[in-house]
Amino acid sequence: MHERLSFYVHRESFLHHLNPLTKLTLVLGLILVAFMAPFYWTPHFLILFAIIPLGFLGRVAYQYFNAALKLILPAAGFLFIMQALFQPFEGQELFRFYFLHPTLESVMFAFSNATRIIVMVSSFTLLLLTTHPSELMSDLTRRGLPPQFAYVIISTLQILPQMQAKAQTIIAAQRSRGLDTDGSFVKRVGALVPLVGPLVFGSLVEVEERAIAIEARGFTSTHPKTSLREIPDSNLDRIIRWFLVVIVIVTVGLKIWLS
Amino acid sequence: MEITISNLQFSYPAGVHALRGISLEINSGEQVAIVGQNGAGKTTLVKHFNGLLQPTSGSVLIGDWDTTKYSVSKLARRVGYVFQNPDEQLFCKTVGEEVAFGPKNLGYDKARVESLAKDALAMTELSEKTETNPYDLSATWRKMVALASIIAMDTDIVIFDEPTTGQDAVNVARIAHVVKTLRERGKTVITITHDIDFCAENFERVIALSQGKVLLDGQANDVLGQEEILATTYVDPPQLTRLGKRLGFKQTVRNQEEFLTALKG
Repeated sequence: MHERLSFYVHRESFLHHLNPLTKLTLVLGLILVAFMAPFYWTPHFLILFAIIPLGFLGRVAYQYFNAALKLILPAAGFLFIMQALFQPFEGQELFRFYFLHPTLESVMFAFSNATRIIVMVSSFTLLLLTTHPSELMSDLTRRGLPPQFAYVIISTLQILPQMQAKAQTIIAAQRSRGLDTDGSFVKRVGALVPLVGPLVFGSLVEVEERAIAIEARGFTSTHPKTSLREIPDSNLDRIIRWFLVVIVIVTVGLKIWLS
Repeated sequence: MEITISNLQFSYPAGVHALRGISLEINSGEQVAIVGQNGAGKTTLVKHFNGLLQPTSGSVLIGDWDTTKYSVSKLARRVGYVFQNPDEQLFCKTVGEEVAFGPKNLGYDKARVESLAKDALAMTELSEKTETNPYDLSATWRKMVALASIIAMDTDIVIFDEPTTGQDAVNVARIAHVVKTLRERGKTVITITHDIDFCAENFERVIALSQGKVLLDGQANDVLGQEEILATTYVDPPQLTRLGKRLGFKQTVRNQEEFLTALKG
């Protein structure tokens, strides 16, 4: 199976052995708490005392920090700057630069929003790092997710690396016919034309063949299906899930009670 | 134009050691078939001839050009390579444009491009289909378009990667005719094939690869006669060759004429 596109890192860890649904609940729980909690410092607290420890617990801290530095922090930083500068909050003005006049309130608001985004993206990153996509999908399908939906997700993850490999072959074939793919920008763009046709045509043919192949194996059959891989769902998983549900309910309750 | 390969080694980035020290000389105008089990390194080897792969160690010379010093599009002047799957190659709206694409890339003048394209289309019996869209043709004819589009580049060396796979007898005969015409013109033709009859009937020299090394290399009759050695790379000699052996013929036979001569003599 092609796995280049999935983030999954194979490790033996507590987090890897949790049921996928438990991890999904954990992710949604973290996000809901980060966004709903009535205390300003909740998302920051979550990053320090939930997200980062979970990264170590899943033995994917290195990969997580890597993704955080390259992807999550720059995106959150951009969001922070935009919101800090352009949110029209009244209050204590920090400085004035032409039409920009950020206030302490707008900076505080932007900071809190940015950390919430970090919690959201980080928890999903941890889920993807520790859960194989097909394991997640087969567990959710077993619990009643429409298989068509799972198929769309899984096939997208598989088709992209295949298209990448196909594009490489097509480039090789055209270079063998004397197509110069180096040189000026215009030349490079011109060199793309011979690639698009075979790539799109080939992919359409592949999609159709794939559809026939899975239908031949009873994809739309309404009989209950068995699964080759048993995905364990322990009592601990159930306890963790209910615990998380309780925390989310308490958070929502606090939010309503305190406002 | 001759091909000189000295002590060629190649490992894929993932670590597969695909070629383990290959040295070969292929002379100008030779017709060579490369056989061997799947994964023996056949495609890996020929991809070195036009620079699609670069040696991990050792060298490949095409005439006086070291393949590490020339880009694939430059080497396309000397080596034409027909890929296994025509769908990975064809993109033009008409067969005519498709066949002219290669020679145009090589910078030939308009008159030459036209005459080369016309000639390649005639050789592959596509002259009637010049205005057709390649994707309206059957898979067998698309294969012929792929062949024509490389032949039109008029390179001294032409490589076919499994040309007869999935082709009916009529089309195999067409491809054999193309090989014969190229031989008459003094071109070097190198073919990877699992079709041992096609190999026996059209090629003078056969190279058998096994696990990244040359297992056998020589005259077709000599190589195809070595049934036990060929078996180690999962190649069966043609039925007539095996039958000739069972009948106790002294020399190895590989086609009907040779078989009948041996039977009468």
